[in-house]
Order: sequence, then C-alpha cells, then structure tokens
Amino acid sequence: MQRLWIIAGLATLSFPLFGMTTPGEIAASVVRIEAATQDPNYRIPWSPGRMSGGVGAGFIIDGQRVMTNAHVVSNARFLTVSKQGDPKPYPARVQHVAHDCDLAILQVDDPVFFQGSRPLSFGGIPAIESTVSVFGFPIGGDRLSVTRGIVSRVDFQPYSHSGMDSHLTIQIDAAINPGNSGGPVMQDGKVVGVAFQGYSGEVAQNVGYMIPTPVVRRFLADVKDGTYDHYMDLALSYFPLFNPAARQALGLSDDQNGVWVGDVYGGGSSSGIVQRGDVLLKIDGNPIASDGSVELDEDTVEMAEIVERKLKGDKVELEILRDGKKIEVTVPLNEKWPFGLQANAYDVQPRFLTFGGLIFQPVDKNFMNEHNPSNLRLRYLFDHFITDHLYRQRPEIITLSGILPDPINSYASDFIYSIVDKINDRKIQKLEDVEKAFAEPAEFYVIHLLGEGRPIVLERQEVERARERIRQRYGVTRESNLNS
Amino acid sequence: MRRFFRFILLSALSAPLLWAGTTPPAKPTPTPAAVTAQSFVRIIATNQNYEFLRPWIKRPPYSRRGLGAVLRDGRILITAELVLRNTYVELERIGTGEKCPAEVEVIDYQANLALLKPTREDFLKTRIPLEIDSGARVGDRADIVQLESNGSLALTPATLSTITVTNYPIDELGLLIFRLSSPLQQRDGSFVLPAMRNGRLLGLVMRYDARSQTADLIPPEVITHFLKDATTGNYAGFPRAGISYANLRDPQLRRYLGLKEGGGVFVDGVSPGSPAAKAGLQSGDVILSAKGQAIDSDGNYEHPQYGRLPFSHLMTTESASGEVIPFQIWRNGQSQILQVTAEPRNPAQMKVPSILFDKPPKYLISGGLVFQELTRPYLTEWGADWRNTAPQRLVYYDTYQDELPKDRSRIVFLSRVLPSPSVLGYEPLEHLVIQKVNGKSVNSLEEVAEALKQPVQGFHRIETEEDPGVIYLDPKAAEAEAESVRKQYGIPALQNF
Repeated sequence: MQRLWIIAGLATLSFPLFGMTTPGEIAASVVRIEAATQDPNYRIPWSPGRMSGGVGAGFIIDGQRVMTNAHVVSNARFLTVSKQGDPKPYPARVQHVAHDCDLAILQVDDPVFFQGSRPLSFGGIPAIESTVSVFGFPIGGDRLSVTRGIVSRVDFQPYSHSGMDSHLTIQIDAAINPGNSGGPVMQDGKVVGVAFQGYSGEVAQNVGYMIPTPVVRRFLADVKDGTYDHYMDLALSYFPLFNPAARQALGLSDDQNGVWVGDVYGGGSSSGIVQRGDVLLKIDGNPIASDGSVELDEDTVEMAEIVERKLKGDKVELEILRDGKKIEVTVPLNEKWPFGLQANAYDVQPRFLTFGGLIFQPVDKNFMNEHNPSNLRLRYLFDHFITDHLYRQRPEIITLSGILPDPINSYASDFIYSIVDKINDRKIQKLEDVEKAFAEPAEFYVIHLLGEGRPIVLERQEVERARERIRQRYGVTRESNLNS
Repeated sequence: MRRFFRFILLSALSAPLLWAGTTPPAKPTPTPAAVTAQSFVRIIATNQNYEFLRPWIKRPPYSRRGLGAVLRDGRILITAELVLRNTYVELERIGTGEKCPAEVEVIDYQANLALLKPTREDFLKTRIPLEIDSGARVGDRADIVQLESNGSLALTPATLSTITVTNYPIDELGLLIFRLSSPLQQRDGSFVLPAMRNGRLLGLVMRYDARSQTADLIPPEVITHFLKDATTGNYAGFPRAGISYANLRDPQLRRYLGLKEGGGVFVDGVSPGSPAAKAGLQSGDVILSAKGQAIDSDGNYEHPQYGRLPFSHLMTTESASGEVIPFQIWRNGQSQILQVTAEPRNPAQMKVPSILFDKPPKYLISGGLVFQELTRPYLTEWGADWRNTAPQRLVYYDTYQDELPKDRSRIVFLSRVLPSPSVLGYEPLEHLVIQKVNGKSVNSLEEVAEALKQPVQGFHRIETEEDPGVIYLDPKAAEAEAESVRKQYGIPALQNF
C-alpha cells in the first residue's frame, strides 16, 4: 500500500510569519494528490494487476509544476491534484519520476489550477536543532495538517522506495505519518526538504525523514534536459584502512588517508579504470580519510557524496595508490549502478514466458518480494549476484516460477524456483534465450535446471496439443512479455 | 511436517515390582507379564557441548536419563542421542538405586544406537538379558516400557502401524523405522524407551509425537545390523550408495530416455568418492534393480515381509560393509550391470563434516583472527531454523558441498575477530571464507598454520572470497600479542587441531 503524507494550513492557527511567505500562502501552494494505482502481479504476470489507491502531498514549484515523492505516483493509472479552497480535482500527469531518490514532478494541464498559488522556493540545509514545519495530509483527518519539529541530524540513509539507494537525508522529530509523503518541510518561508519516510511507531517514536534540498536540486538539474538520467555510480566497494599492518603492507604513511578497493563491478563507471586492491587517496582533490569520509563545505561527509552531486557525463578525478605508486585517473560518470535487478521497480510489467504451462521469469527484487522463495540456491544467486560476479555467467537468473497444472506438466512441480541452466543445448542467460530455445524445432524440449540432475522433458507435440487448453483453463491473456 | 517431542521427566526409584520369565513365544499376540525390570537399567548421562562460535568454550553440562535394554555379554543398548557428547555416563539399578559408571563402547550416530559397558563386571550379574525380536508385522501389538515414580515398570500398549524408511535424527541417514501408535503418558524421566513384543526387545523409541500419539522405533533389523557389526571389534556402520534419485513416473521423461518397461529411478546426483561414484554410476543413469530386486518408478522394491520399501534399505540395513551389490542400470538406451561395493560414509571425509561429536572443534587463532573449518554443528548454532538464519554462504557450501571443486576439501573461514591491537579495523569481519594464505590455497587449518610460517614480504596476506578480498596482518605484532590475547579472552590454547 502506498502511504502518502500531506499538509494543509489553517489560517486560524497562530503561526509565526515565515519571512515573506505567510502560512496562508504556503497552504495555498500545498497540493493534495490522489492516485489510482495498479500494482503488477508477479504471480500472474499476464494480469494487469491489483487496483488500489492512496493520498499524498505535493507542492507547487516554478514552471507550473508540482513536486512530490516518486512513491506517491508510482504505478499510477490516474492522478488528480487539488488545493485548499478549490474543491475541484484537476487531472495531473507524471512528467519526471526518479525512483532512486523518491522524487517526482507532475504536470497539470489546466492553468486554472495554479491561480492563487505562488511557487515555493528552496532553501539550504537547516541547522541542527532549528525548527521546521511539515505540511501534509496525514492520517487522522482530511484537511491540511502542519506539525513542527526540530532538525535532529543530517546523514546518509537508505531510501526505502527503491530499497537499494542511499542518499543524504535529514531526520526531524516531527511526527511524519502516511499522507505526509511529498509535502514540503518549511523553514523561514523556504522549502528545506520533502517529507518522505518515517519509522514505524513500534520501532521508534518521533523519527521522520525528509529529502534535503541538495538531493532535490540535483533532481531538478538532472531533468533540465527533459529526461531523468538517474544517479551515477562508481560501482565499486571500498573498505576502511585502519589497520597498521595493512597500511604498511600497502606502503601507506600514518596520515590516516585512503580506502581499500575491495571490488570493481563489471559494467559500472569504474570498470577497467579502477582495480581491486587500489587504494583511493583523493577524490576531486579532496583527501579521503581512512574511514571513507571527505571534508566538504566544512562538513565531514561520505566520499560517495561527491559522486552523488554529479550528473551523467560529469567526471571524477581519483588519486590512486597502485603497486606502491601514486597515479591519477579520471572516471567518466556514464553509468548508473549496473544491477537494477536488486532494486524495487515501478511502472513496469513483469517479464515472463509460458510454455507447456510452465512459467519462466527473471529473478529480480519485485519477483522476490512477491514470491519470497525459500529455495536456497535461488536466494544465494540473488543475494550474491554482485559479490560473486554471477552476472558474468548470466545477466539474468531465469527461474521456473510457477506451473499451470496440466497432464503434460504434472511431474514438474518439484522444480518450482529451480534455476533454468540449459534448454536442449542452449545456455539460458536471459529470458530471450528461453524464447529462442522453445522456438527451435525439436521433438523433446529438455530443460536442465541448475543443481538438479533430473531434467524436465516436454514433448513438442504434447505442448502444442495442450496450448489452447491451458490458455483457456487459466485465462492466460498473454503468453509472454519480453519487453523490459 | 510432523513434530516430534522427546520426553524427559523425573521419577523416584523404589523396588522393582514385576518379575517374570524370559521365554519368548513367537506368537503375534503379546504375552502378558513377560517383561521384567531385571532387563533394564536406568542411564544417567551427563553431556556437554562445545560453543562452536567460540570453540574453546564448553557449554554448561546437562543430563539426560534413559532406560537401557540389557543385552547378552553384559552390554546395554541405548540410543546415541542419549549420550551425545557425553562427559560421564552412570548406570543405576532399578529398585536398589545402586550406581556404576559406564563407558560408551560403540556408538553409531547415523543409526542412533550405542552400546554401554559397565566399568564393574558384576554390575549386571543379576540382570536378565533381552533377546532381539524378529518377525513383527504391521498390526502387531507391543508394549512400551516406562518406569513409574515408585520404580515399577509401566507398560503402555502400542500397535505397529507403519513400517517405512525415514531420516534418523542425528545424521539424516534414511533407515528403517517402526511407527507405533500408542497413548504414552509422560510418567517417566526417560529419553529412551524400550518397546517389547512377546517378551523380546522390539526396539528403542527415539521420538514421540504427543499430538498424533505416534512413536518412532529403531527396529530389530537396524539393531541387529548394529550389534553384528559391533561384535567385530572394528565398527564400520551402515553402508550407503551415495546417490540421490528422482522418480521416473513422468511418461515424457521415460520416452525421452527410451525406457519401454515400467520401473526404475533417475539418478540425479552421485556423491564424489561414494561407493556409487567408485562403481561408475553417473548422474542421468536409471537404476532398474539393486541386489536382484526390481525397483519401481518411485524407488521402492517389494520387501518380503514389509511390502514396499525404498531401495536404499537394501544398501544400508540389508548389506554389510564390504559386500558387493549389483546395480542394474540403464544408460544411453542400454542396460548394464555395475558392481557397487557397500561402504559407510565417513563423516570425517565430508567436505563439510556433519558430525564431530566425539572431538572438540578445531580452531586456530592468529593475532585475534579466529579461523575454523566449516562443520554442520557450527551452522546449527543458529538454531532449528539455521538453514535460513545462519550465514548464507556457509549454508550454501554445506548444502551443495558435492558441487565443490575436487581439490577443495575443507572450507576454512575466518569465524570472528577478537579485538586486539594487531587486528585494529578488522573487528566487523566475520564468517569470511578464506581462499589463500600467503599465496597458498588452504584446505585445512593445518595448511593455514603452515602457510602462516611464511609471510610474504614481511606480512601475512589472507585472501577472502568476499569483500574485503585481502586482510593484512603483521606477523611480529600478532606473535607478540598472542599470549595477551589468550589471557584476555580466557582461551586455553591458541589452536586446537
């Protein structure tokens, strides 16, 4: 379920004035978003999915645009926006969505919607201990709600929407609840963050998170050319270099600089430039401390923050100690994190192929969320896909995800969640290979599964005979979807 | 899945009340009062486990009680589970409470059986030894023996409901069991309960499911195989072929393999080094018959007494170690015979040993880095759900150890780091599989110790499979602080092989 957060301000509340922007003016720029969504079903991959919906918040920014969270509008089929004092819901469209930093920009075609509202502008990073106000439409009522909170900390935190990305985040002690999502967090009349996630009350109290303006500004800069390019990534793993023996062995001094590169991932920006075993000493001229931090704007931040702020096509200069020699390399940032299969995906339909009542699907995060298979081999391959470089052998892990029972496949049920290794003589490295294998004429299709000595055998004649029967019986409206 | 409970209760002792002769009439009806307390001894076993996550530490001792069956030659039969990792075993005469220490003479973890020998010759003098039953059939009646709190025997009637092959508790070897249905009450503090039929020992109850009121019994065939082997003085154990197989019911698969007639199972795995592997069996073969018995497409054969049983029974319980067993197989459209020499699996030869109860775990500590060899008991430290909760890579290696490369024997891993100056910064590292030490591949802790004698360019270089990839250690610093690490963490010795 989507939980959205919204803010509405009441003129009768006694607010301090926020600089030039009064509470009433802020309220007029806060938007309530209603989304009708349809979430794909990874068990019935040909099905259009389950209908649901939610309410979230957003706010008007320059260019007659509405900013909100990506999770408010993900998998949306129809969106409406409304404002305080104007009961009419206006249809809206997603112009840009960034699932990796949970931000989206909506367009509203009817210019009447923007009348009486001023676009909100962005501020900087609020000081620790300073007060901010959160606007949104959280659970507990229908009208705009405002809560105040104190800035507790600024830190790198995971963004739960994609489940894989971490960016700069500001923690505040205001209650942020479902319905606050996408709402502005204000200080001195400026937007200093976008409310986006919290903690369940069972785990923690008064912990809310907002997306700070450096992340928002980066998103706005990225979409300036009309497309969202995603965050770029060095695609390497690095480790602190505290140990004196390790420092000596690598020929490092005691200045406590440098991190050790554990792995460089194929297909990523650093691939072929940085090597395992390199010591990263400087990034864009900033010395890297032995814990991987750099001093930036008089603040200590993760070295990743430097890459975070860049856009596609930008470059990163690295000073590296390799085999005892200092060298300088330039990493062009042309690639995002290459393993999208480990992130939650939105606005996509499941890829699959059925043959003889067997359903084949690539394993990705959405698949794992839905099926939650206990099969050890499958889980191992998914979890170690990157660390064990399994992507080199098979760009996709194809599994037998389900069976539509029919006499021709009644002996295949033991093999659910097994991984397809070969079909006849064709190695299966992606879903397209399955399609090709079954397209080749053969008397028997012998499906070899990883670690299973016994193959699944389907006779072509039998499959053809059963095809219509299976389609009809199970309402299979589509036999495959190979598009990503 | 059915859940089994073992019952452990306390009871007081007093004089034996029942006494009867021992003549066993071979009739299907139980003979009343044929069972006497003179044929049983109470066992009090004190056992102690190691903490595998800190392998130099022994857990608090715990004790288990059981009712052992007195056999000829002054031996007592119990389950292996009762004396698993024992430190002290004591016998107690029912009635008098007289005690005597005992030694475990033979133990088979796979068959879950052990023989005890009293340290005093005369302790069993007045006892009446039991004979092992034979000829039981489904539907027969039996009595499960317990002790009342006053020390008298309590007999609970039981009916033999199922005879099948199922996994035994300790080492997951599939062996024959008798399943009895019986309304047992928790009246006695006993981990092992003998069951009697016609005054003879039918078997030992090794688990009881209180909800379905079923008891799993180690049957006469398994006991007899164990005893026969035990008397040789060089216990070999239950042979196994070392294959896994799948059913061959699927007509499409049968047609693909060119099998015309019914029956046969598909070999889908052969353990490296197993009797089947030595005989040349391969994954993809079809086994049509073994030891002259035709095998159906589910892997069962027709046992003359018990009906359909998995054919593994032929190999494990109906064969002795060293026996040559013909397997008729189907390969490439042709039938052929392979001779498989029966041989028990030696857990010590497994890449990830499943049991090592009689030995303390191996470890090696160098400068706060704790190295171990992967074993099943290490993984089961994560509890009953260890397959899902233990470190996934280690579980994967245990589960799929047959797929490891041939030259890989044991899995050496860094189990944890004891914080100390030489390993500063390495504290968070744990459960990392080691590939090389100082440039040498390591397949045992002995090899690690050997490799650590030769640092490379003044440093130990320890390569891990996963990130961070390399751990450096200063040999001099590690050696200098060895004694203080040992003292600080209360470790008796820095290594145990």
